[in-house]
Amino acid sequence: MTEKDVVERLEEIVGKKNVQADKIGLTSYGYDATLLSGVGMATVFPLSTEHVVKLVKLANEAGFTLIPRGAGTNLSGGTIPDGRCVTVNFSRMKKILDIDTENFVAVVEPGLVNFDLQAELEKKGFYYPPDPASYKATTLGGNLAECSGGPRCFKYGVTRDYILGLEVVLPDGKVIQTGGRNFNSEPGYDLTRILVGSEGTLALLTKIFLRILPLPAAKKTMLAIYNQVEDASQTVSDIVAAGIVPTTLEMMDNLLINTAEDATGAGLPRDAGALLIIEIDGHPEDMDEQVETIAGICKKARVREFKMARTAAEVDQLWLARRVVIGSVARRRPSYSLQDITVPRSMFPNMVSGILQIAKERNLEVGILAHAGDGNMHPLVLFDQRIEEEVERVHLAEKDICALALELGGTLSGEHGIGLLKKKYLTLEFSPVAMACFAKIKNSFDPRHLLNPGKIMNL
Amino acid sequence: MSNETVNRIKGLVGEGNVVDSPSAMARYLKGQGRPLAVAMPGNTAEVAEIVKLANEEGLKIAVGGRVVESRGLDGGLALVMSRMNQVLEIDHANLTATVQPGLAHTEFSRILAEQNLVFPPEPNVPKTGSVGGCFALGEADSQAFQYMPVRTYLLGYEMVLPNGDILEVGNKCIKNVSGYDLIHFAVGSRGTLGIFTRLLVKLLPPPAVKMALVADFASLPKACQAMATLIRRRIFPTRLNLLNPALAAGIDPGSKGNLVMVDLTGFKNSTELLAEEIAGIFHLAGSSEVQAVKEAEGYAKLWQGWLDLRGELNTTWAERVIDFNVGPMKLAAALQALTEITGDLGAYPGLVAEGLLGRVRLLLPAAGEREEMAVKVNALAMSFGGNVSGNFGSKLVCRAYNDAEMWEGIESLLGQIRRQFDPKGILAPGVSL
Ligand SMILES: Cc1cc2nc3c(=O)[nH]c(=O)nc-3n(C[C@H](O)[C@H](O)[C@H](O)COP(=O)(O)OP(=O)(O)OC[C@H]3O[C@@H](n4cnc5c(N)ncnc54)[C@H](O)[C@@H]3O)c2cc1C
Repeated sequence: MTEKDVVERLEEIVGKKNVQADKIGLTSYGYDATLLSGVGMATVFPLSTEHVVKLVKLANEAGFTLIPRGAGTNLSGGTIPDGRCVTVNFSRMKKILDIDTENFVAVVEPGLVNFDLQAELEKKGFYYPPDPASYKATTLGGNLAECSGGPRCFKYGVTRDYILGLEVVLPDGKVIQTGGRNFNSEPGYDLTRILVGSEGTLALLTKIFLRILPLPAAKKTMLAIYNQVEDASQTVSDIVAAGIVPTTLEMMDNLLINTAEDATGAGLPRDAGALLIIEIDGHPEDMDEQVETIAGICKKARVREFKMARTAAEVDQLWLARRVVIGSVARRRPSYSLQDITVPRSMFPNMVSGILQIAKERNLEVGILAHAGDGNMHPLVLFDQRIEEEVERVHLAEKDICALALELGGTLSGEHGIGLLKKKYLTLEFSPVAMACFAKIKNSFDPRHLLNPGKIMNL
Repeated sequence: MSNETVNRIKGLVGEGNVVDSPSAMARYLKGQGRPLAVAMPGNTAEVAEIVKLANEEGLKIAVGGRVVESRGLDGGLALVMSRMNQVLEIDHANLTATVQPGLAHTEFSRILAEQNLVFPPEPNVPKTGSVGGCFALGEADSQAFQYMPVRTYLLGYEMVLPNGDILEVGNKCIKNVSGYDLIHFAVGSRGTLGIFTRLLVKLLPPPAVKMALVADFASLPKACQAMATLIRRRIFPTRLNLLNPALAAGIDPGSKGNLVMVDLTGFKNSTELLAEEIAGIFHLAGSSEVQAVKEAEGYAKLWQGWLDLRGELNTTWAERVIDFNVGPMKLAAALQALTEITGDLGAYPGLVAEGLLGRVRLLLPAAGEREEMAVKVNALAMSFGGNVSGNFGSKLVCRAYNDAEMWEGIESLLGQIRRQFDPKGILAPGVSL
């Protein structure tokens, strides 16, 4: 089938206005939040499960591959098209099918934006815990396929923990439901779990059953500023050991404190080594006791400034630096590469000093942003994309950072996924036996390698 | 399996660690199957050697912590993991433990308690359950609303695959999305994907306070209404379990009616306030007696009673149990509707409801009628947005939707995965997916 025929058949399935095959369309959906890009044959916007089934059948018949896509904000090259493929853009399948607050379930289509769900839930006093910083733009399908995390995941867990069931279209066009509306509906293997984080390589999601929770009755936000990163990480360990599970333990290092201060002029001390944003939630009666314990722990760890927000405006003020930080590095250098590794909590200080050492060796500026409670770090490597030699050094630093994380008993990715970007490092983390198991999973679902080929691993 | 094979196995794990007389094997087996031997490997290498041998000889293998399901195991080999029962590491800084799979679940809990740590999952069977078995079965238990399902506590493992290869995945990081999620996928696979030989699990610090409330309700609908009131008021205890009179008597001999058991774990201030509020709600809802259990001994005894009951449901009574879920707030209406099938549930042999999860287990008068009952119960559960659990339930759902294609899709996918991992069909012959 020629490309022109394929486009015509796509238009028959979803209607002309739901297919884009011109240059603008191809370029618009040829990239994601990495520096990578590619070109496929077309982008198609299905509106229903039926559409998706027909697309899959056509792909089988005409011999092209499918690249599922949500909002395209992933940081792993997970939606980059390549050659004889069609991008399946789910952004028009965005209905909320059911919100059942009494039974803690919401049923949604995968193209629904995380924020839009949160807004509806909030009206009913509920929320969906996984909250990637990009939640205003990202789709729940994309969140699921990457198993996204976010600041409040330390207490509440990641996307995996909030998916009760799915409707998916398999690569042979069959529609199946996995799981259901509760914890105990999985038949045989936990198919839901293997689909979470599968980066669009196993099946196309068409419906998601999510677990939702009532908004907590009380919340407290604190800011702690330290001379040294070690003190901040001591604080984190001690809080956890005291049996307190904060929703959030966000850390920024000296470089990022400075770029944030450049952007906001909020009055952060420029010589501080690290800051921690600590947030707890729960029963109102328990807040004071926990705040007191946390304040004591911070003090013991030689905190130089400790603030607790008393009003909503003060909460916003404390969050300000964290909210602007990624954008703020642009004042320093035009490009950044956002890394995503996790190490065991006890290795946190070693990883921080290791990253600073790598920065020095590779002659790069690196700022460290971390979800410190769970050891998930996002080193921001700053550079200028136009300087080829520097880009080379960025790649080398990336590799060093990954290798160090693994050496410290960590992992290549805490929440952004492998995609194209990190697949070359996958064998550093996994043995040939594990790699063979990945292949077994892929081949069970998608023996013809129709879905998102070349992502996660080459087969 | 010939004598020669048994001898080779004895050569691998030591003569004293293989049992092959039927009378001696009995204590390690459940079910009617007749394996030729029971072997107790002492380390990963031995497990891998045994599996390789099984591949050569086309020998079936089933695994258990202390007791092995013998269904489908005629002429095969039962592996009892009880010698691999060590705690290899407890890491306080990262709140993890590394253990061998044959470690008894209750023993693990005891060791952790001494170190002021907790492994939340409930044992499937307190007397015989192992940590390996806990993850191999991987159910959500009655604390899952607060503590999340069992799979949440598995961070990594070492496993001998059906071809004898050794798979290692996971690390001490809670956040980990590298590669496909083999870690959580293995939970609940019931020994079909491989044999766990080491587990890395997540621990928690203990809650500041623990206490329980036990409320007696003459009327089952009123007990359900009382539980619904808690949920409506956004009171979510750690456990909220309901037992009908037949089962209640086993836990509290003094009880007259249905028992609602509430577990509260958390910070002191809120826990005490909640206990008062809940007691008030239960009185208003018509409970004849609400008892607060605050001292450690009574608290431990009460929940041990619950765990023992759960163990019975999972073993002795398993063939008589139908397990289904509906939304938590639909419990009252679903149980009301259920009486049309079962008659008065107050007089029924057994009924357990986990209120926050909307999970119900019905203990039938006899095993023979299970399939027929499950079909009826599933239709009922579906009308309340749920279904009978497990793959039988899933099949019934597909049947009810008249969706043969969906069932075929699920079945062929499950079969495909199993064949990919175990092409010779060696492991867990008694488990059908
Ligand atoms: C500024 C910024 C901040 C970020 N912060 C966070 C953060 O805090 N935490 C975090 O975890 N991530 C974060 N991310 C990464 C990214 O936003 C997440 O990975 C997000 O979940 C991607 O969602 P998306 O809708 O953009 O999906 P896409 O990027 O479009 O796709 C992601 C993957 O999902 C697959 N996919 C999408 N829809 C479907 C479907 N219906 N069926 C099957 N597969 C599908 C795609 O093939 C792809 O592999 C951030 C990104 C940016 C740019």
